This record gives sequence, structure tokens and C-alpha cells, in this order.
Amino acid sequence: MLLEVRGLDVRYGRTHAVKSIDLDLAEGEIVTVLGANGAGKTSLLRALQGAIKSGSGSVRFAGEVLTHASPAERVRRGMMLVPEGRQIFVSMTVEENLLMGAYLRRGADWHQDLSQIYDRFPNLAERRHMKASILSGGEQQMLAIGRALVSRPRLIMLDEPSLGLSPLFVNNLFELIKELNRSGISILLVEQNTAMALDVAERGYVLELGRVVLSDRADALSRDPALAEAYLGGHASSQHPIDQIA
Amino acid sequence: MLLIQQVLNGVMLGSVYVTVAVAFTLTIGVLNFLNFTIPTLFMLSGMAAWALTKWGIPFGLSQALPWPLALAAAVVMTIVASLIVERFTFRYMKTKYGDATEHAIPLVSSLGFLLIIENLIRIGYGTDAQRMAAVSWDTTVNLGGLLLRAPQLISLCVALVIVSGLNWVLKHSRIGRGLRAIAENPDAANILGVDSRRLVPVIFMLTGLLCGLAGILFAINYGEVSPQMGEDIGSKAIAGMVIGGLGSIWGAVLGGLIIGITEMMTIHFFGADTVQVAVWGLLLVALFVRPQGLLGHHSIGKGKL
Repeated sequence: MLLEVRGLDVRYGRTHAVKSIDLDLAEGEIVTVLGANGAGKTSLLRALQGAIKSGSGSVRFAGEVLTHASPAERVRRGMMLVPEGRQIFVSMTVEENLLMGAYLRRGADWHQDLSQIYDRFPNLAERRHMKASILSGGEQQMLAIGRALVSRPRLIMLDEPSLGLSPLFVNNLFELIKELNRSGISILLVEQNTAMALDVAERGYVLELGRVVLSDRADALSRDPALAEAYLGGHASSQHPIDQIA
Repeated sequence: MLLIQQVLNGVMLGSVYVTVAVAFTLTIGVLNFLNFTIPTLFMLSGMAAWALTKWGIPFGLSQALPWPLALAAAVVMTIVASLIVERFTFRYMKTKYGDATEHAIPLVSSLGFLLIIENLIRIGYGTDAQRMAAVSWDTTVNLGGLLLRAPQLISLCVALVIVSGLNWVLKHSRIGRGLRAIAENPDAANILGVDSRRLVPVIFMLTGLLCGLAGILFAINYGEVSPQMGEDIGSKAIAGMVIGGLGSIWGAVLGGLIIGITEMMTIHFFGADTVQVAVWGLLLVALFVRPQGLLGHHSIGKGKL
């Protein structure tokens, strides 16, 4: 297993956001985490990156225990979170944003990674010396993913990447996710767009109030009426619950 | 001609304000923290330079130092003092109380440092202004009838060089990018592996460097230091920073120079007693007309430098 999470618990203040979660992700896999707003998906990803402290439980990545590691240490080992809302640096140029992904990389070999990213995203190449604030929502998402790629991650964790994007961009985004995965990067995907997430993922976990209530292969989850219940609170009678959500 | 001379004098006086204002800007811009120890660090540098040229290192560890060495030692001492301040205001308060304190507790504890250090110096050396004969020299450059005193000219050059250097580091180096990332979005910076516990001391080192340099520049300019010297300069530097625009380094430069010129002009036309009224009056007018400052961002708050 590339990522092994056991009994992870996250609290902040009085909120018990993540309750004893077990989660596995094999090298090369796309795994999706589904759930309603407030189910603890974002807290889970942030805890996995070390941005918030986990109360108890353990996180192993590539065989190493990273439960108490700093975000920097996790980035060095190859974990990279693309946070909810992109969180690009709008006061910096496009290129400076990408360089932030290389913050922990020593040596100058990241130059070629940069040109690879410009090849992949020509829009970013055109605007490389412009402020990131002028980018459209979709371009900002590409920049956030590009920034993550410069760190040469083994695992990318995407938090609601399709949020606020036009349908065309959402399609591009999911194509990109598949492409990144084919190039050998494992992906942990948190998404509201359940149908598309289950379409690209091999396996999925469903969170409810901080707990894993369901985990299965993605195709099985697509057909599971209980999944509809997790979202719609009892409207499980529909023949195609996923279509309804999507 | 006399008026142009006064403007020039104002610019040179402003160079000390510029250096201190940039120190304020750096901590405000990156950490959103108004560091009240800055005037004290400035004073500490001047007083240390004086004490070292007069007596040498305390406890009989050395004879009186020659002035170049004393000035360098004063700057180093100020940097160390600034790091100690970081350890006991910013870092301690942050780790102990987390974000709940935001900026109020570091601010108050930095104010505590200001009062303690200033009063310790008063107890040690008295409140009198001290002559620094060793470093005051009076070479003047005559530029077509305009007189430029060498020490002032040097201060102006040092101030501009150090600020340009700092600006270059912030814009083009890896550490500079890290600092700007923390300034704009500490959470995103953290996720990307920017370790603020390692970068925050850099800010305090730079603060110490700027205050240390400003302190010895002041000493060279006026040939005189006192335990009170930080109060006046500190408040004018804050005024300059605000007029120039919070969080903008070139704004701090511009604001510092404007304060210097305002001061000299006020002295020229109305006499020295009216300086504070003019400077703070200008600040209030500036806040009313252009609250974000001359070169500041439109939204006051986070996302600076």
C-alpha cells in the first residue's frame, strides 16, 4: 500500500471532524472520498497533509510512519494536497506560483518540470509572467494542479477540484486526472460530482459525520442505493440514485 | 535655493525613517504583526555603538573598541536582540496559544519588551543624550551651492541599497517567495511545505539588521544617542509607513522620505515646535484621503508585500 490510514481521528475545538477512519490507497490507484458537506472530507485530506493535527491513529506513506510529520516532510516524501478553492497566490505571477511547488526541491532540475507543465497547460505558458489573479477559475485550477506537479508527487490529493468550474472545464479536469494517473501518480479525490468521481476512481469511501459508512469498488458504489441515502436522506427508492445526485 | 536645500536635508533625514519604516513594513506585511520593539532595537543599536566606543564590551572583556568595529558589533547585537524578541513574543505566544491570540498578545508582549529594554538602558546609562565624537565627522560636499553632509549622504545611500537588496530578495529568491507566500496565504504556504517556524526568524533577523543599521546611521548623522531616541523615530516611521501604504516596501520608502521632507519644511516655515503637529496632521489627512496609502493595496488586511 502507498497510503495506509488507521483509526485516524481529527478534532478541532469542539468539532470531532474525523472519527477513527481507516483508508487504503495502492500505488497507481485513484480512490475517491464522497460525502455531504460537513462529512469530514476536507478535514481528512488536511490531516493527511499535516495541515491540521490528528488526535490519534496512524498514517503510513510508502512504508514510513508520517503520523506526526510536518507538511514539509510529507511533501518531500511525495504527498501533495491541492486544497479546496485552489488557494493559489494571487499576488504572485503564474510562474512564481509554480515555483512554490518546487519550494522544497534542491538543485535546478525543476526547470524541465516547469517546461513540461507549460507544454501541458499552454494557457499558463502564455500568462507565465502575469499575476495569477487574472486567470479564470478553470485556469486557476490548472495552476493549482500544475503547482502540485512541480513537487513531483507520488500521491496527489484533490479537494473538490471541479467546484465552480464550467461543464467543459469539468470534463477537461477529469481527463487530466486520468492522464496524471496514467503517468504513474496515485490520486485521492474528494468530489461533490459523485458520478464523475466514481467514473474515474477504482474504489470509493463514503463519509458521514466523520465516519466511513461505506467503502467498495467504484462500480459497485455507483449501483448502491445506500449511497443515495448518504446524500439524499432516504430517497433511496430511485432506480438510478447517482444520476439524481449528479 | 534655500528651499531646495531643505528638501535635500529632508530626504537625508528621511533615510533613517525609511530604514525603520521598512522594518515595520516587513513584520506587518508578512506576519500581520505591529512589532513595537522596533524603536527599542533602533535605540539599542545606537546606545550599544556608543557604549562600545566608550568602554568596550561590558565586564571588562575588552578595551574601548575602534568605531568601525563598534558599529558592526552594535548591528550584530541588534540582530541577536531581535531574535530573542522573536523567541519570547511571537513564537512563544503562537505555540502556546495558537491562533486564538492572533496579533494582540504578540503586540502587547512586544510593547513590554520596548519598555523593559528602554528602562534598563536608562538605569544603566542614565537618560542623558551621549556624544559620539568618534563617529561624527563633518565633511561636506558642495554641489552647485547645495551642501550635502557626508554622513547624511552615506545614510541615504546605505538605506537605499539595503532596501533595494531586500526588495530583490523578496521578489527573486526562494526565501523571498516563501515569505510572500506566508504573507498572502499562510495556510496554502504551509501545505506546500513552507515552514513558517524557520522563516519567521528570518523576518526578525532582517528587522534587527534594518534597525541596527538605522541606529548607527542616526548616530553617525547626529553624533549623539540617547535612550529616548527610538520614540520619536519610531512614531514617525509608523506615520511614514501608513502614508506610503501598509505592506508596500516602496511605499515605506516614499512615506519615510515624505515625513523627512515634511519635517524639514515645517521647521523652515514654522519652527521646530510644530513638527509633530505637521507630521501627524499629514498622516490624518492621508488616512482620510487615501486610507490604503500612496502605494498600498486597495483592501487593507492580508495579502501583502
